[in-house]
Amino acid sequence: MNLELDDDQNAILEAVESLLDRFAGPTRAIDLAREAAYDAVLDDAIRESGFEQAMDPLSRAGALETVLIVEAVARRAGVTSFAQEALVGPAVAGRPIRGPVALANADPKQPVRYAAQARFCLWSDGDVARIAEVGAGETEQVESNFGYPLGRISSEVFQRGEALGAGSGERLASWWRVALAAEAVGTMAAALEQTVSYLKERKQFGRPIASFQAVQHRLAECAVRVEGSRLLVYEAAYLDAPTEASACAAAHAMTSARQVFRETHQLSGAIGFTREHDLHVWSMRLQALGAELAGPAGHRRALAASRWGLG
Amino acid sequence: MDFDWSDEDLGHRAEFRAFLGEILPSDWERISEGGPGSDAQADFSRVFCRALADRGWLTQHWPREFGGSDAPPWRHSIIGEECWAIGEPRGPQYMNVNWIGPAIMRFGTDAQKDRHLPLISRGEVLWCQGFSEPGAGSDLVALRTSAVADGDDYVVNGNKIWTSYANHADYIILLVRTDPDSDKHRGISVLLAPMDTPGIEVREIPSVVGDRYFHEVFFTDVRVPIECRLGPEDEGWGVVTYALQYERVGAARYARAARTLDRLTEIARERGLLEDPLVVDRLAEARTQCEAARLLTYRVIDERAHDLAPSTNSQVARVANTRADTCVGDLAVEILGAEALEYGSFADANFRLAMTAGVAVGATEVQLNLIAARHLGLPRG
Repeated sequence: MNLELDDDQNAILEAVESLLDRFAGPTRAIDLAREAAYDAVLDDAIRESGFEQAMDPLSRAGALETVLIVEAVARRAGVTSFAQEALVGPAVAGRPIRGPVALANADPKQPVRYAAQARFCLWSDGDVARIAEVGAGETEQVESNFGYPLGRISSEVFQRGEALGAGSGERLASWWRVALAAEAVGTMAAALEQTVSYLKERKQFGRPIASFQAVQHRLAECAVRVEGSRLLVYEAAYLDAPTEASACAAAHAMTSARQVFRETHQLSGAIGFTREHDLHVWSMRLQALGAELAGPAGHRRALAASRWGLG
Repeated sequence: MDFDWSDEDLGHRAEFRAFLGEILPSDWERISEGGPGSDAQADFSRVFCRALADRGWLTQHWPREFGGSDAPPWRHSIIGEECWAIGEPRGPQYMNVNWIGPAIMRFGTDAQKDRHLPLISRGEVLWCQGFSEPGAGSDLVALRTSAVADGDDYVVNGNKIWTSYANHADYIILLVRTDPDSDKHRGISVLLAPMDTPGIEVREIPSVVGDRYFHEVFFTDVRVPIECRLGPEDEGWGVVTYALQYERVGAARYARAARTLDRLTEIARERGLLEDPLVVDRLAEARTQCEAARLLTYRVIDERAHDLAPSTNSQVARVANTRADTCVGDLAVEILGAEALEYGSFADANFRLAMTAGVAVGATEVQLNLIAARHLGLPRG
């Protein structure tokens, strides 16, 4: 048991941060959002960096390292399906997948992240997961305020697709949960950090808003939730995404995400709603993440089923 | 970073569980639900701790010279986790082994170390904590119990409040004000006083938490030898701060909450209550809180294992443990309904113990203040 990052892990994160300095951040995310665009440049930069080849999500250390990077990308508001391509895809398919990758519920009516740009789509079909290439004209962009490019995938895609073996359905659900939780942790941390920064500057009644105890306590409660969520997802990734631990991480992270959304907006006041203020870059994404798979209630159902044989 | 237990640690846990299976009486659950003030629990804790000490498991994390085996913090944490999960059969002695002993090791005279450490490491002594006063709770430095030097003794006058275990304790670790002109951190001293010293009176404070859970301890012209002072005069706050660093690893409350939650789920299953998806949802939510608290507590143990300076990880872990405790305590009542109202029932006992979670180890609000100031860097009000 050792909860400190080692030198290699720290070195990877440093290198990732340098890359994200150039190809991520809220300003870039806002620019991309104007055309609901996907950051293919960031994708290419990550591939060229050699991180993906070095990481093997089928190994414990590799999965943890990939999760660390997923968290970092989310924290810097990167517009990329890195989590889906580098973590979920290979962990479920047992081989590298060249993305962008969309994870779906096989429902053509539901908007899906990265659908309009995806090369591959993964979904569950009963006990097995399926993967299919997404062809031109098989997706349609969906306009959204929730911080990610979204699209609908036509039902033709879900009629075909390679089955990925017995138990792959459950594996998809678990790794999807781990990816969601990791993205949520990075996104929450950034939303909180941005809010803390702002409230230290913003003065009312002759003092910074951050100096009021009620405000301090609410922010501290959010910090406790984020820290707990972080360790849960690290453990789940390290242990190869067991059903229960993955569902637990996702349930805690996505419930925390709702709290962080609510609290950061409430404490930021009206400026927090504006596009010129950066909070929305992360906060709205928290809602999008919460809507994925079956949401926090779905993660809790999966946790209960796994631990207590219920549902 | 890894989340594996070593084979040695796994073996240790298995061995300890086997030991528990042998030593716990068949009515242990009833004894533990009697709460910390009960005679039955105090008596059994003496038996239990002696047996632990015989196997070298009571203070294995202590240095060898003081009766330990220099075991890593993770090793000791396994015992703590297993003990808390079943209702803490070590009783009040977990305090001795976790922080009172270490404080004596660090600040004690040779005579104090010789008198107290062997007793603690053999599981032969109970201590209680004389900190809070009617006028000094969260604001502990406002304490006014006085100790005036007179010859070889201090004469102590004042009173302490909320003292658990005072009815059974052999010694009290007592915070007093030795400099009457001071009113803050300076001027406080720590005394290691025998509870059978003339002039000490223990009175139960009736509460709805349980029998003899809280006590008031009155000191009327109590003569405590100056040689019983721990650390330098007027510098006791430094001793307290040091001791509380050890206490930060604290009690594995999440382990108790998680075990209670699993029991609660089984009871609910027997009653057909798990057909209700809302009940299932609440149980799962409680589970996530227990798991978050577990890992946040592990992070504090890890900090100690790496010899890192104490950080707000402790406060974060405490808040998470309190939330988990409260969530499970409330849920037990909610799920079992009116049955939870009967004194001594499963839900009642667990609810009452969980009730104190936000106050027992310092008010949650103080933890949140510290997280805000030191973890988030927020400015003072």
